[in-house]
Amino acid sequence: MAKAKGRPFLEILASALNEDYRFPILEAFAFLYALGTFALANLSTMMSQTSATGEVAAYNLTTSLLGIPLFIFLILIFKNIAYGLGSDIEKGVIQTLFSYPLKRRSILSAKLLSALGFSLVLFFSIQVSALYIIAPGIVMPYLGTVLLTYAASLSFPLFVAGLILLVTLVLRRGGIALVAGIMLYFAMSIVQGLLSFVAYATKSILGLQIISVLSPNVALGTYYGILESSPLGQPWTPGFTEVLGYVGASYAIVVLVFLLGYAYFTRRMNL
Amino acid sequence: MMALIVAEDLAKSYGRVRAVDGLSVRLDEGSVTGLIGPNGAGKTTTIKMILGLLKPDKGSVRVFDEDPWDNSRIRSMVGVVHEKAFFPSHYKTLDYLEKVCRIFGVPESRAAEVLRLVDLQDASDREIRALSAGMLQKFAIAHALVHSPRLMVADEMTANLDPQARSSLLDLILRLYKDERMTFLLSSHILPELSRVCDSVAIINEGKVLASGKLPELYDKYAAGMIRISTDKPDELSAEVGRLPYVERVDSDVRGISVRIQRESEDRLYEDAPRLAKKVEARIQGIETGSASLEELYRLVVGGNKRG
Repeated sequence: MAKAKGRPFLEILASALNEDYRFPILEAFAFLYALGTFALANLSTMMSQTSATGEVAAYNLTTSLLGIPLFIFLILIFKNIAYGLGSDIEKGVIQTLFSYPLKRRSILSAKLLSALGFSLVLFFSIQVSALYIIAPGIVMPYLGTVLLTYAASLSFPLFVAGLILLVTLVLRRGGIALVAGIMLYFAMSIVQGLLSFVAYATKSILGLQIISVLSPNVALGTYYGILESSPLGQPWTPGFTEVLGYVGASYAIVVLVFLLGYAYFTRRMNL
Repeated sequence: MMALIVAEDLAKSYGRVRAVDGLSVRLDEGSVTGLIGPNGAGKTTTIKMILGLLKPDKGSVRVFDEDPWDNSRIRSMVGVVHEKAFFPSHYKTLDYLEKVCRIFGVPESRAAEVLRLVDLQDASDREIRALSAGMLQKFAIAHALVHSPRLMVADEMTANLDPQARSSLLDLILRLYKDERMTFLLSSHILPELSRVCDSVAIINEGKVLASGKLPELYDKYAAGMIRISTDKPDELSAEVGRLPYVERVDSDVRGISVRIQRESEDRLYEDAPRLAKKVEARIQGIETGSASLEELYRLVVGGNKRG
């Protein structure tokens, strides 16, 4: 019987989706995403309508919708990568997968597509729906700004996801990887917050530029002047091209971290 | 005869522990080869290197004349049963095997077939997590048979099985070997089972192959001069026989003793054994020349290696 090309990959992907989003996980996270998005909708609409116009309003609206859903997105990724993939490695399910006619990279891709890809689809479908429902007049003319805001805001969570993948592959223990991932995320967030504060307080442009490489939303926010009226002031206003450079650099780092994960999984990971 | 597995000078360490040390082994097509050795001998590590799950520190391994590391092509020809089998546990057994059929591109009806082969047809709608340890082992075997592999690699395949299930499984191995010319590499430390199905063995200890080849050749090489004495008092008789000057080695078990003697001393033992049995009030039920079990062969090889 002729084997359909791509079928093994799709079967592993279907299996990964089934494991990652088994009832009631999908339903619970969809609800949390929706709650997080719409619970902030009125406030953000009010803010953007009263204090800003044009691109800045689109940026404000998008950013204000992102806060809680981004955190939920990270929780889902912690669960899927650290706990899901980590447990598969720990328990030996991955050995079973390695007995199928698939390259290691395909197995990891299927796992990540389920863990990250589907979560992103879920996240975006609710976010985009919310934006369109809440303020089509602001969103539609400035779609580029909205997309750029998403790109700038998601690179840091994706970077953390890449680090969690590395931690999971190295530790090979679901529970420990989960705890290590959560600690890593909070540690990085605290360090980033402190560095940002110090950079603003000392008006260190270099500090802000370094932070923007990992978290380009800082540069984008500064570009839109969100800190102009803050007590610390705004020591630095990057140009639009510079902001795009930070976004590009941050995604290059994200890609690099994931490539490291792939290289380890396919070339060095002994089971 | 085509060699399906050729491993040469394999070495693998875990930290300071050297699990496999200069191991070479060859598996010909159409054979049932036992990889035998005590716990910690390096069997599982060897099998993992053969399956491409572990990278050797040194040496090379070829399966179907290809490097097994991340080689999806040879996986279509190899069935695998791990010592501890794990599957996505929330699937029902038949559903999961049908998925495996789709992965390998074989008709889904094969799933029910392999469940029947291992006598698990009644558990077809049971979730994998609800299977007992023995049933899970049977399921792992069914899983490995889905794509009718040319080579089956099994690490402690009969672990967790009750005696009847073990016997059925050994029958199944013989059937697949004879009817479908399937080649087997079976690792185990339960030697009587292996002796029932294997035509070749590789005896490993402390990460090295001490002896390998067809069983008759190994018996000729290592067990020539062996005499088996069946008795009701093996320990007492063993102690007496061991004192005879022409006896090189004596091993006892519950049913008798195995004696290795110097050349041309057979007649002397036939004379001395009844006398010694009378001395310890033992009853001799039979004396057989040139007979050794796989267990004895293993002891001879490992013992000989230690003395050497």
